[in-house]
Amino acid sequence: MTALRAWRIGLIALGLAFFVVGGITLLNDVNPARYLGIAIWLLGALVIHDGIISFVVFGANIVTRKTGGRLRIPLPALLIVQGALVVAGIMTLIVVPAMLKKSIGTANPTLLPLDYGLHLVVFYAVLAGVTALALAVYGVVRRRRPAQLVE
Amino acid sequence: MYILAVHRLLNGLRRSLAMPSRNPRMAVVIGRLLAIAFLLCFATGIYSHFLQDPLPWMVFPTRPVNLYQVSQGVHITAGILCFPLLFAKLYIVFPELFQTPPVKSFPHFLERASIALFVSSSIVQIVIGLLNTYQWYELFPFPFRQTHYALSFVIIGSLAIHIAVKLDVIAKHWRRPAAEPASVVEPVDAQTPDDPTVPSAPGTLTSSPGRNAVIRAEGVTGRLFDWIDTTPPAEPRTSRRGFLAVVGIASAAVVALTAGQSFKLFDGVNAFGARKQGVGPNGLPINRTAAAAKVEAVASDPDWVLTVLNGTETKTFTRAQLLALPQHTVELPISCVEGWSQMATWTGVRLGDLVDSVGARGGTAIKATSLEQNSSYAIMHMGPEYVRDDLTLVALELNGDVLDLDHGYPARMIAPGRPGVLQTKWLSSLEVLS
Repeated sequence: MTALRAWRIGLIALGLAFFVVGGITLLNDVNPARYLGIAIWLLGALVIHDGIISFVVFGANIVTRKTGGRLRIPLPALLIVQGALVVAGIMTLIVVPAMLKKSIGTANPTLLPLDYGLHLVVFYAVLAGVTALALAVYGVVRRRRPAQLVE
Repeated sequence: MYILAVHRLLNGLRRSLAMPSRNPRMAVVIGRLLAIAFLLCFATGIYSHFLQDPLPWMVFPTRPVNLYQVSQGVHITAGILCFPLLFAKLYIVFPELFQTPPVKSFPHFLERASIALFVSSSIVQIVIGLLNTYQWYELFPFPFRQTHYALSFVIIGSLAIHIAVKLDVIAKHWRRPAAEPASVVEPVDAQTPDDPTVPSAPGTLTSSPGRNAVIRAEGVTGRLFDWIDTTPPAEPRTSRRGFLAVVGIASAAVVALTAGQSFKLFDGVNAFGARKQGVGPNGLPINRTAAAAKVEAVASDPDWVLTVLNGTETKTFTRAQLLALPQHTVELPISCVEGWSQMATWTGVRLGDLVDSVGARGGTAIKATSLEQNSSYAIMHMGPEYVRDDLTLVALELNGDVLDLDHGYPARMIAPGRPGVLQTKWLSSLEVLS
């Protein structure tokens, strides 16, 4: 038996053992009436991520590249803008639930005490500033060393 | 014919999704980081679990005093870090979703099923973890703690199996390739032959004209793929570096702007944490208010006494009597299971002195009971390592003031290295266990 095969068997056995523990925990500690809810969430996660978010990201990528090509925007500049959009998107996903929960109401005022909406706007503004700066720096570098940076 | 159309569609999708950043090396680079984050979450989560539900033989360290602050702060922060890392990892391997034929063999089916389980449980895990820090329980129709705990085993089990399945790819791409070919983009699935004349070969640049000529499909999907394929290509090196830079920046941003809820170092930039240092009565956040625990009346009762029992020996202490005992002041953090933490100054009676007053000898465990009813934390057990620790107090004052009703007035427990839910508030009795 090769080392690779031995590792594989060991890891799969370990994984299955973990599945058993997870399964027993689910059977012992969670009311069976809740299993359907868990299953819906697990399935929903796949549908929302693989079926919606991934395609939106893909479409947005194609559209920005198309637009960038038409406007003759150099690729690195386009990547900087796309990167900023991705960072903004991830932060939005994390912060918007906090905003929503705060607006619905929390158990006490020390939970979610910040002004998340305002902070998110400030974050977007700072991100836009940093992006503009990065584009400016790229523009300067590109003009100085055109041979290496323009494809 | 139908099968062929699906085959062609899946191939078209995979080809269109091919990007320079979607390659096995990148999957290994991001996968390693994500695995570390998962394992950190798992280890700290298990630690937190057993602190709350210890097995009989378990003894826990009480130093450093902020051990739980660090372990649970790492748990929540690494969990938030998983958002950008998991999205990055899923982005890299996304074209694999459309491999064709979808199922080649029974082992291949098992592999794909295990990956589906891995992906969905990972997403659910970090999402409910985040929502738990916002205490938004109404959103999920299952108990948080038990589900989060069970899923952690499913995830780490899936991780082990995933590593086993991909071991050859991981080994091959563990190190950076010696000389980086400037324009060659490897398909995500390294085993598939990369032959431009074979329609099923996925993965080179979307603008490759030779490739496009071969797999051009008809109809709406064909036109859509044509449209996609005429997109200006991404330059591989810039694209890969840009991808890593974005993952790095997103990771740094989510960590830096939320970690202030757990670590004072980041308090100044705490823009998005679920808690803020210094916000709350006595300058400290609260999880469960007196009103929520329905103890406002009993806890404010001037006739309140703390009962301390050891077998048949019983003593009661009014708050004034407790204040008349030797007082000690300690610096200990409140570290919530939800990950937020804050250091505070507590003054009160040493727990060791109280159990001594009813004749307890040596190492002894106790059972503390709260005035609170109907809570799984109303009764708390404490092992001798905490009972006999000089820093463990029945606290009467917090940050120089009388303990606020919401912080457990008339008296609460505070011990080093324990989660907040075990720092029992509104104490009613302490019983020495034999």
